[in-house]
Amino acid sequence: MLLGPALAVSAILFTLGVAGVLLRRNAIVIFMCVELMLNAVNLTFVALAQQLGISGQIFVFFVMAVAAAEAAVGLAIILAIFRHKETVDLRNINLLKG
Amino acid sequence: MLQPYIPVLLLILFVAANAVMMIVVSHYAAPRRPTPLKDAPYESGMPPLGSARERFSVKFYLVAMLFIVFDIETVFLFPWGTIFFGDAGAGPGMGFLLVEMLVFMVILAVGYVYVWKRRALEWD
Amino acid sequence: MPPLTLTVFWALAGMAITGATLCITRRSPLASALWLVVTLFALAGLFVLLDAQFIGVLQVLVYAGAIMVLFLFVIMLLNLGRPGPSDLKGPVGGAVAALLAGTLLLQLGGVGSSGPPDVIRMPEGTVAALQREQGMVGAVARPLFDTYLIPFEITSILLLAAIVGAVVLAKRKL
Repeated sequence: MLLGPALAVSAILFTLGVAGVLLRRNAIVIFMCVELMLNAVNLTFVALAQQLGISGQIFVFFVMAVAAAEAAVGLAIILAIFRHKETVDLRNINLLKG
Repeated sequence: MLQPYIPVLLLILFVAANAVMMIVVSHYAAPRRPTPLKDAPYESGMPPLGSARERFSVKFYLVAMLFIVFDIETVFLFPWGTIFFGDAGAGPGMGFLLVEMLVFMVILAVGYVYVWKRRALEWD
Repeated sequence: MPPLTLTVFWALAGMAITGATLCITRRSPLASALWLVVTLFALAGLFVLLDAQFIGVLQVLVYAGAIMVLFLFVIMLLNLGRPGPSDLKGPVGGAVAALLAGTLLLQLGGVGSSGPPDVIRMPEGTVAALQREQGMVGAVARPLFDTYLIPFEITSILLLAAIVGAVVLAKRKL
């Protein structure tokens, strides 16, 4: 079965997503890394669905719906911030920092 | 196990070969006598105005965003259609399926009416 | 498992991991987005190999086709296509990121190496038999509209909230 290799690939992709969030300062790229993490989790769901029942594949539907809603609203927020501050660099978006 | 995907593989190979062939053949076979006018970017016969790296209008974003949300609606409509119009088999009954999809569609239709009323679908 | 399947699996996995690595290291957000599209396509292939053909199609349709288009739109909208000054963090930030990510990978490896316990595993081929009997889409659709009825309806409310939120944020004059 491909379960072991699929879980390994999923772990690596999730780690790369986390590394991207920690490494970058561009809000849009960080957002893309979050999408990468969601996709890594989708891979886990699909891989485990082969052995634990079809429900794993159904969860992927909901993850996709949440990702789409998140992308629509999140990018709208980034747009609003950009129109306000003319930047998407997180170093300049620090109003909440004391 | 992978036999059903042989046509897909053939299609990918064909498309890739075709694209490479078109670029390579036109690169070597076409006569090349460049003039400044010929090298200018083509803009439907008009003289090019400004840079190609202009900022896009936010209206494009609204349309793309609405497309995504209603795209997700299609994602749920498709499996619903396969069991509603396919052979029934075991599972939820027809009336039940119809009602649950209607509830889903009505809730999203509220969003559609909101978008319409906010004039987000109009260009100006 | 035939060796050809394994070869295709590792080819797609390598494509996904390469795409993800380049996605987090390219300076230009546009290049990052395009490499992420490569990763998403490779993942669609992996889904097909893992007996989730319908999910694979949806992956291309929704992620590679719609969500990434939205990302590219916003990048063009904000005129970030050109590689500007690097937004990667310096050596200290990079070291911290590598340390945290490495720790996470170790932990994930520890959790995932054992796999699911035998008690909750279904007998070999149960899902494949279900898919043969009800069709690729039907096997997913029946529980989706039966057992997962409430999450399905709540999804519509989530999408409604997303529509309203995005329109309000994008239409407002700031």
